[in-house]
Amino acid sequence: MKALSVALVFALSGAFALADEKPKPEPKEPKKVPAKAEPSLEIPYRLTDTKHVLVRAKLNGKGPFNFILDTGAPAVFIPNKVAKKVGLTTDQKGWGTFDIFEIEGGLKVENAKGRVEDLFQLEGMNGMGLAGVELHGVIGYNVLAKYRITYDFTKDKLVFATLNFDPPEPKGIGEKGGGQGGLEMMGTMMKVLSGFMGIKPNYEVQPTGLLGAELEQKKDGVYVVSVLADGPAAKAGMKKGDKLEDVKGSSIDDFADLNRVLGKSNAGSEIKFTILRGEEKKSFTLELAKGL
Amino acid sequence: MTTKTLLLLALTAFGFVPSASAQTKAPPAKEEAKPIIVKMQMLPSRHFLVKVKIEGKGPYNLILDTGAPLTIITTRLAKDVGLIKKNAPSGFSLFGGVNQITIDKLEVGELVTAKTNAVVMDHPTVDAISNAFLKEHGPIDGIVGFPFFARYAMTVDYQKKELSFTPNNYKPGDYMADMMKNLMSATENKGPRSLTAGGLWGIGIDKEKDDEKAGVTVYKVFEMSAAAKGGIKEGDRILTIDGRWTDTLADAFLATSLVKAGKSVPVVVQRDGKEQKLMVTPTPGR
Repeated sequence: MKALSVALVFALSGAFALADEKPKPEPKEPKKVPAKAEPSLEIPYRLTDTKHVLVRAKLNGKGPFNFILDTGAPAVFIPNKVAKKVGLTTDQKGWGTFDIFEIEGGLKVENAKGRVEDLFQLEGMNGMGLAGVELHGVIGYNVLAKYRITYDFTKDKLVFATLNFDPPEPKGIGEKGGGQGGLEMMGTMMKVLSGFMGIKPNYEVQPTGLLGAELEQKKDGVYVVSVLADGPAAKAGMKKGDKLEDVKGSSIDDFADLNRVLGKSNAGSEIKFTILRGEEKKSFTLELAKGL
Repeated sequence: MTTKTLLLLALTAFGFVPSASAQTKAPPAKEEAKPIIVKMQMLPSRHFLVKVKIEGKGPYNLILDTGAPLTIITTRLAKDVGLIKKNAPSGFSLFGGVNQITIDKLEVGELVTAKTNAVVMDHPTVDAISNAFLKEHGPIDGIVGFPFFARYAMTVDYQKKELSFTPNNYKPGDYMADMMKNLMSATENKGPRSLTAGGLWGIGIDKEKDDEKAGVTVYKVFEMSAAAKGGIKEGDRILTIDGRWTDTLADAFLATSLVKAGKSVPVVVQRDGKEQKLMVTPTPGR
């Protein structure tokens, strides 16, 4: 079981059953495509809970959809569900060309081809909600190879530089059943098991509420620098120079304390603040507002 | 004991061998960060191999896979270099345990990485790829994954068939421990995840349920706030924040949660039918 869940998180795809497909001869010299004066682009990404590199893309104007950047996949893969949503027409072997394939950050991939297939890895991960976010597909070699891509997880963007390179088409490994070495049933299995165990993926997010105070970390604590006019802090009487003593009954020494205490307080939550103004301690209860 | 508990036990207690030094640290980048170039070898299936030495032995062929959260090596390789006993069973069992190990020395080209986590596993897909290209490329003995490449700024250039690595001191963490934690908590209903903006923006945003157009609408801008100073106005439609699409409220909150206070970021808004790029610097606060 453990091995199963570990094996599952590899979005590695041994490619596709190509038994009836004649792979094109590989060109000796990669075909040159006309040079485009496209500067390198910064592409926003996130790491999923499963440590996959996630970027978003709009397909044929629909979406955004969540994709894993995967050098272990030979091509772009999307499940049938997504293909239907974006109206992708495919040939008999399941390949289609997107009218528009736009990666978040302003990158339009021209003539992007994708393969429609319900990858068991994604089904399995989604069944358990392992990634913390729903995964819709993978972006593999046929699109990745068009760019020189820099991955640096100390930065919040990836860098894509367009190459004058038309990647040769991938060949499948010709194994029956999709070349996954017999793992294909894992996705279904994980889904069934997850249901059995009461695992229900939950991707919902909720913003925390707005206090409306600009704050500053000083040596001895957190101070109010200013309050937003008619924001919750201002309405409650919080003022510039106030020092936060405690919030919701927890003493506040730094931003980390504050984030911990208010980490799940959404708009409408009533929060008790105690502040120190000069020598005087004051307490008020205020209602966090919508906003950020 | 309920079935659920039993299953959870089965899931977590199966032969899990925690390694002594699971939490690895990136080696300090003492010298000037100079990129190290490593050649990749393309397979017809468009996976690429790198030559890897483990504990000084090899080189072995491993697939470098950005879609791999773990590094895995085959039992054959693990035995070869003495990481597991010669008589350890090989093969792959779905319900088997996971043998987590620490590789003291992993070399990819000139790159030397100390103490990197890996799992010994005969992954069926790796086997299948290995068998398909055995004649031309020899056996493939695993996957180089996140715990290795995350320690570097890595650039992949398929045209030159080159990888470039510059140490970045990123700490990949302990994937197995995190996953077990996630699995355990997956059965509890934790409710929605909370997102907090990295700084104080001073705006209220909204989107009607049946509104399917791109962006979210600004219904309030607080006077003197970071957003006001950046030029955001009530009625603006925010299309992107720091390059991230903001087509839903959740996406807008996610985008602001990723912008640290004090960082100036572009905000693209639609106003009177025209797109404008504004710069906003959220202030510390909430």
